[in-house]
Amino acid sequence: MPQSHILKSYNLYQNALAFGRISMTRVIEVENLTKIYKGNIKAVDDISFDVNEGALFGFLGPNGAGKTTTIKLLTTLASITSGKATVLGHDVSKQPNMVRKSIGIVPQDLTIDNELKGNENIMLAAKLYHVPNHVAKKRVEDLLELVGLTDAANRLVSTYSGGMRKRLELIVGLVHEPKVLFMDEPTLGLDVNTRKIIWDYIRELNKEKRVTIFMTTHYLEEADALCDVAAIIDRGKIRAQGSPQELKEIIGGEVITIELTKERDLQDFFSSIKGVKEVKKLGSTYGIKLGMAEDAIPAIIDGIYARGVKIKALSCSKPSLDQVFLEVTGKEFREEESAEAASRRQDIIARRG
Amino acid sequence: MLTETLALTVRELKKWIRTPASVFIALFQPLVWIALFGSAFNPTNLIPSSIATPEVMAQIRQSILGQTFGNAPNYITYLTGGILSLLLLFTSAFSGGSLVLDRRFGYLNKLLASPISRASIFLSRVFATVVKGMIPSLIVFFAALSIPDGLKLNPSFTLLDGLLIFLTLFLLSLGFSSLFTAIAMRMTKWESLVAVVNLLNLPLLFSSSALLPVTSMPDWLQAIAKINPISKAADATRTLIVQGSVDLSIIMLNLTYLIAFAAILTIAGGIASIIALRTE
Repeated sequence: MPQSHILKSYNLYQNALAFGRISMTRVIEVENLTKIYKGNIKAVDDISFDVNEGALFGFLGPNGAGKTTTIKLLTTLASITSGKATVLGHDVSKQPNMVRKSIGIVPQDLTIDNELKGNENIMLAAKLYHVPNHVAKKRVEDLLELVGLTDAANRLVSTYSGGMRKRLELIVGLVHEPKVLFMDEPTLGLDVNTRKIIWDYIRELNKEKRVTIFMTTHYLEEADALCDVAAIIDRGKIRAQGSPQELKEIIGGEVITIELTKERDLQDFFSSIKGVKEVKKLGSTYGIKLGMAEDAIPAIIDGIYARGVKIKALSCSKPSLDQVFLEVTGKEFREEESAEAASRRQDIIARRG
Repeated sequence: MLTETLALTVRELKKWIRTPASVFIALFQPLVWIALFGSAFNPTNLIPSSIATPEVMAQIRQSILGQTFGNAPNYITYLTGGILSLLLLFTSAFSGGSLVLDRRFGYLNKLLASPISRASIFLSRVFATVVKGMIPSLIVFFAALSIPDGLKLNPSFTLLDGLLIFLTLFLLSLGFSSLFTAIAMRMTKWESLVAVVNLLNLPLLFSSSALLPVTSMPDWLQAIAKINPISKAADATRTLIVQGSVDLSIIMLNLTYLIAFAAILTIAGGIASIIALRTE
């Protein structure tokens, strides 16, 4: 089992703090949280993390990692086996109704009622949360406009596209103006374009409505694009936590791959360049691992030409969260599931019903 | 709790009205029962007419209706009370249907994660089902009146008798809707619901006086039929139809029984549902 990397420095996160979007107030505090389902299935295994007010916090991991179970625990839908979780200061297991009043939920499944109209779905939510009618009407208008559904509001949801449904789903959870919004796989099953549109809306909700967002995703690029802080979860445990940038630094930087027209020993030259951490040679091809590739490329090219060598090909790769995942969990993100992992996942899905 | 129950009941009813097929079938089926069953299976026609002269036959039929069918002027009149009770049993049987679907589609989880009373999830299905049953039963009642040689009310039948009929049916529906909603509370599959409904519906029907009088049954079945709430509702309805402005005391026993039936099942179903909806 790879050692877990918990990062202390939060660069981008600090930026967001400086701009005032994220405050230091903790809205979600989780301590040694564990959930064991019947049949001794450990879905969540002793996890701890905090989410600050205004943050967009991502929970990243493959299917069956324990993401949905964590959301279920935090939203009072499953009971905690051991450990403690508070949302806005309310203990999830002791004051479930206080938690329910202050949170919004966007579940994984599409839970909009198809046989109701768009605005009826939101108004129903407003009634369930006891939002006074006149207040609700104004909010519904604003929210519909925010996600561009004003024109479709009066239509049955069964006539909506998948993307429209998801947009409606986002705002249905917001009509009571919750401080925290939980989103479980918000772009699951959507095409690339629609996903980007949803991302924009999520950013907007986070900024405009100042809602703290806790989201799960198994799309690495989604965590990368959206989240201030991401926690990588696998088999019920948090393996690493930090801003996407920090997580990528676990890999140790970017890699420049240079193929020369003929084989020459330039090992010492490459090693002498500032910021280079590691040089690997394979025939006429070099792999150079370093902090920031862009800064070093001119010096590298100049040096190669000065030594009378020509470059056949040059490429530069930035670390992705895929590589981070590989590094911290010791396995490929999308690798074939082992039989054991598959049955574990089935168990969890069956248990959480 | 009231706001929530009302909001969720309105949701159920909106969905019902927007599925015209379900409304149409809910009306059509009992009408077919009355029209076809009432004509084709008229028990007074089962006696071969060759055994006596037409005059004697008419007398025999009349005495069957008089003695066995509680003085109903014809079999359809006898049958109407039973069919109305059945209509409410059948609509109530699927009161948990939307719950199964809500669980399956994740809607239930969204409800459970909101600060609503758990009882409102149960009560909304029950109330919506009662409405879904009562509206067709009204229509069927008037339809039975309008068909030729159909339902014949006693000349002394008053509006109060009519209201009492629908109170009876309301109580029956409330009780069965509560029972079937509570049964469906933990179900994840539509198939299981259909299986349970099929398992309970026909035995409940044939062990009651809905289609035939209790006196035509063997003793052991009579014992069951006498405590079957469908019999109580069908008999009370029938008495009101055949005798008109009755002395309340005649149907009081049946009404009291149905009030207890509805109250106990609503409360027990509500408690069972709250327990079933607890977080694991």
